[in-house]
Amino acid sequence: MSDKKNNYTTISFRGGGFQFKNNYWISPTVFIVLLLLWHFGSTLGFISNLVLPKPTEVLIAFHDLYVTGDLYLHVGASLKRLILGWTLGTIIGIIIGFAIGLFALVRAGLAPIVAAIFPIPKIALLPLFIIWFGIGELSKINLILFGTLFPTIIATYGAIDNVDRSLIRLGQSFNLSWFSITRKIVFTASLPAILSNMRITAAIAIILIVAAELIAAEKGIGAYIQMAGSLFAIDRLLAGIIILSCMGLIANWLIGLTERKLLKWRNL
Amino acid sequence: MELAVKNVSKTYGNLLVLNKINLKIDEGQIVCVIGPSGCGKSTLLRLIGGLENPDTGSIEARGIPPSDCLNPLTFIFQDFSLLPWRTVEKNISLVLEDHGLSTSNRNEIIRSVLRRTKLTEFSDRWPRELSGGMKQRVGIARALAVNPSVLLMDEPLSALDSQTSEILLVDLIELWEKQRFTSVYITHNLSEAIRIGHKIVVMSRRPGEIRETVNIDSEIMDREIRNIELEEHLWNLLRDEAMAAEWELENE
Repeated sequence: MSDKKNNYTTISFRGGGFQFKNNYWISPTVFIVLLLLWHFGSTLGFISNLVLPKPTEVLIAFHDLYVTGDLYLHVGASLKRLILGWTLGTIIGIIIGFAIGLFALVRAGLAPIVAAIFPIPKIALLPLFIIWFGIGELSKINLILFGTLFPTIIATYGAIDNVDRSLIRLGQSFNLSWFSITRKIVFTASLPAILSNMRITAAIAIILIVAAELIAAEKGIGAYIQMAGSLFAIDRLLAGIIILSCMGLIANWLIGLTERKLLKWRNL
Repeated sequence: MELAVKNVSKTYGNLLVLNKINLKIDEGQIVCVIGPSGCGKSTLLRLIGGLENPDTGSIEARGIPPSDCLNPLTFIFQDFSLLPWRTVEKNISLVLEDHGLSTSNRNEIIRSVLRRTKLTEFSDRWPRELSGGMKQRVGIARALAVNPSVLLMDEPLSALDSQTSEILLVDLIELWEKQRFTSVYITHNLSEAIRIGHKIVVMSRRPGEIRETVNIDSEIMDREIRNIELEEHLWNLLRDEAMAAEWELENE
């Protein structure tokens, strides 16, 4: 573009933006600034101590929890229920999902039932489960199992439906056995969707265990929060919430680790 | 092995895709099938390969495949169909694993086909790291690994750029010179068909029928890059059909 015939002007760059750069220091800075605001807000009286105690008090509550051994007690109880319920729900879900994905007869029989149970908020089943399985561990583990089972079934057979048909045809054209096609093509192709569903079910499991423990439990993070709430001990309440956040982050990190190991063919 | 397609028709729903196709594929011969898009040429190939059932008629084979043939009718796909979670070597291994071969035997076959397709250095690569031409080389290597009697090629070079497809075409011709395989080669590229075919079958638009069969007697190795006269003849047969096919709706 030139204003006069023989004068060249440089074409200005207009392709920038819409890109993410890694700014590793930004998020810790924001975190620390928020903490400082909270701290000074509390010490200077902008924030009422009744509404929000100082961060140091939350830290002390956390310390007490650790020293008295209650941390181990509550986190241990919750983790046990979580791991058992989630693992069973995921394994059974994948098996049923595969059966629905692979066999038309199973699909015709089970898919409508799954669709009918899936939208029920599982916490509504807790009273029923307490009657069926008692007030103890079994009702809670079953609640988590149930809560993770249905999303897993749906994600699994959805993933199987989406497997590239041309890859299945490839297997058939080379006379691969049904079992080989299922294991080496269908299973591996649906693995990414199954793994990303695990992130969702891990979050569902944490929601359900806390809800169950809030309603009926002596031990567990939910029970701890419930106690802190009824005693108006907001510092302890917040400590419990922070533990929950950490549990979610760790679960997410573990699944990310599994993804990087099992799906290394995906990322360059 | 030689194949005979006898009076084969195929409908999808109430759409007649192929109408009374008769075709003979002789031992050691490459039969090219050309036709406008949507004329059912890929369907014909899938029927020949046993991936679909004809409504009427039959596909028959004569002759016994050699004892080391693991999969007599073997496909090479347009979209390569490589498993993205297997390396080059493992993609080839996939089609050998169900045959009870010893590991050393399997590795021997893999090494041999990788050498024949000039892929030896790429054995540990993931498909996503390869160019289109390299991916199709893997597809060809995988097909050769099972020592097929008949190669069924479904537009094997259509997804490649023209330089790459020229290189691969020459490779295929050299391969045929060495192994004299029998093949059905689907393409929409006239000059490709003229270069590699012993027999060119021209199909009409839906419902697919055979319009003309052209035999080319000259040796594949000795052919010119272009044969304008024949190309024009084939194009005259196809032009109106191709133009009409252009306006058709997909899978109507």
